[in-house]
Amino acid sequence: MPVKLKISKKMWPFIFAAPFVISYILFNLYPVIYSFILSLNSWNGISEKEFVGFANYTKILTRDVLFRKAVFNTFMIMFIATPTAIFGGLTLAYFLFNMRKGKQFFQTINFFPYITTPVAIGFIFSYLFDYSGGYVNQLMTSLGLLNEKYYWLEHVWSARGIVMLMIIWRNLGYYMTIYLSGMTAIPSEVYEAARIDGASKIQIFSKVTVPLLENTTIFLALTSVIGGLQLFDEPYQLYTGWTAGYVNVGGPKYSVLTVIWKFYDDSFKSNSMLGYGAAVSFLLFLIIFAISLLQLKYISKKAR
Amino acid sequence: MRTKVGKVLAATYLGIVTIVSIFPFYMVVIMSTYYTNDLYKGLPILPSNYFLTNLQTVLDTNFIRVYANSLFVSITATTLSCLTSALIGFSLAKYQFKGRNVIYAFVLSTMMIPTQVSLIGYVLEMKSFGLINTLWPLILTFVATPFAAFFMTQFIKSAVPDEIIESARIDGCSEPEIFIKIIFPFIKPGTVTVAILVFLWSWNNYLLPLVSINDNSRYTIPLLISTLSSEFTTDFAAQMTAVGFAVIPIIILFAIGSKTFIEGLTAGAIKG
Repeated sequence: MPVKLKISKKMWPFIFAAPFVISYILFNLYPVIYSFILSLNSWNGISEKEFVGFANYTKILTRDVLFRKAVFNTFMIMFIATPTAIFGGLTLAYFLFNMRKGKQFFQTINFFPYITTPVAIGFIFSYLFDYSGGYVNQLMTSLGLLNEKYYWLEHVWSARGIVMLMIIWRNLGYYMTIYLSGMTAIPSEVYEAARIDGASKIQIFSKVTVPLLENTTIFLALTSVIGGLQLFDEPYQLYTGWTAGYVNVGGPKYSVLTVIWKFYDDSFKSNSMLGYGAAVSFLLFLIIFAISLLQLKYISKKAR
Repeated sequence: MRTKVGKVLAATYLGIVTIVSIFPFYMVVIMSTYYTNDLYKGLPILPSNYFLTNLQTVLDTNFIRVYANSLFVSITATTLSCLTSALIGFSLAKYQFKGRNVIYAFVLSTMMIPTQVSLIGYVLEMKSFGLINTLWPLILTFVATPFAAFFMTQFIKSAVPDEIIESARIDGCSEPEIFIKIIFPFIKPGTVTVAILVFLWSWNNYLLPLVSINDNSRYTIPLLISTLSSEFTTDFAAQMTAVGFAVIPIIILFAIGSKTFIEGLTAGAIKG
């Protein structure tokens, strides 16, 4: 005889929430706690774990030059890439907004980089800037812009420049689209009023459009810094993609070493210091958390 | 006169950016039609006629297998994550129950945790389950996607009128029936957004497969791209052909449904 389970009405919201909550605990929360416990240990994955308290953390913060370098690189790269991409996205959106035809077309094409697999982006750029066969060197020497080929990937600032370029290239169309939908949300009366008051196009842009999009700009800036802190695929691929020969961690003089790259290298690649690596990831979490709080604080301040 | 100059400048700016956006893809496609040794004889601008041979070189490896792996991972992950997020979204948006606020706060706080923080623990956990070198770790990590749950909660709250749920209940619908018959049809647009995001995230995922898979019959697209230079050592045209097939189909798919996709991909940002 089949037993009919009688489920009380009160139980349903819990049953509906359960698949998410249980899988989150199982596949995300438990690993986070596990990682945190490991970060308090010295462990290479094989030998006995040794409890060291917060020693990994203090070591990273006081003695690990490369961690500091990685954080510095990230902010350095984002310091230039983010404003450029934001300015580019904003101006592009403005031009596109005033266009009658072809909006969808330009939006779609400029969105391509954003949906492209980051690893592929790194791969393609490692070819573009390759010394011997790379497009950039070939083009610049044949146009006479360079007398001889340049080792783009082997110099500190050109390496950083390429990473910045990859980030800008990837995000420009996305930022443009976000701004475009922000602009669409501004009531047309606002523009109308400014026009009647005799404001020029540039004045309308700088005194009306830009201030009204402030929230969007702050959102993009903060998410871009958070994204930058998690950067790994593109810079890593830049140095492992095209030319298989040389794999050096972090590029020339560690100039494009990112926090995640360092985390990966410490935990899985050059070293297998799992406890230490876990501590690196938690410090990254703290930085991201601080930025997220900043974002929340700003949003709630605006809402008041 | 001034506005005309402005218009030309704006069009030039837009034109240059658009060309820069599309150029790398064009280059990949063009290079895939060349014989490798001819690549360095000059700048490849126009297509050559070596594409089929390059394609053959790529297909002789386990490329199809890798593609199938990636599709399997992304489709399964997307389906599961849409399901769990729609369910918890329904629960949080349309029920008042003890513990609701706790669960909602839980979902909100999960959004702040970057995935890399759990990576080491997750890999060790998967190892103890015997799932290393399988595709499962790449799927399971997306089953509970925090943003998806948050987004679906907001979406269901605003998209489904309470009265309809109430009247369905009066008509004798059970709660699961309400979810399937009432909620599901209403939330299609929201589900599309979540599906697009999770599909892209899982399709592009690199760090996790990099540390959990080393059997090349289990590779996904990003892993394959990262090993191309050792797979085809000096056959650069074949490398580009493989990259092209990894990237271009997704872009074509995107271009076909671009309106829906762009709305979906930006929906998360606008809410914020």
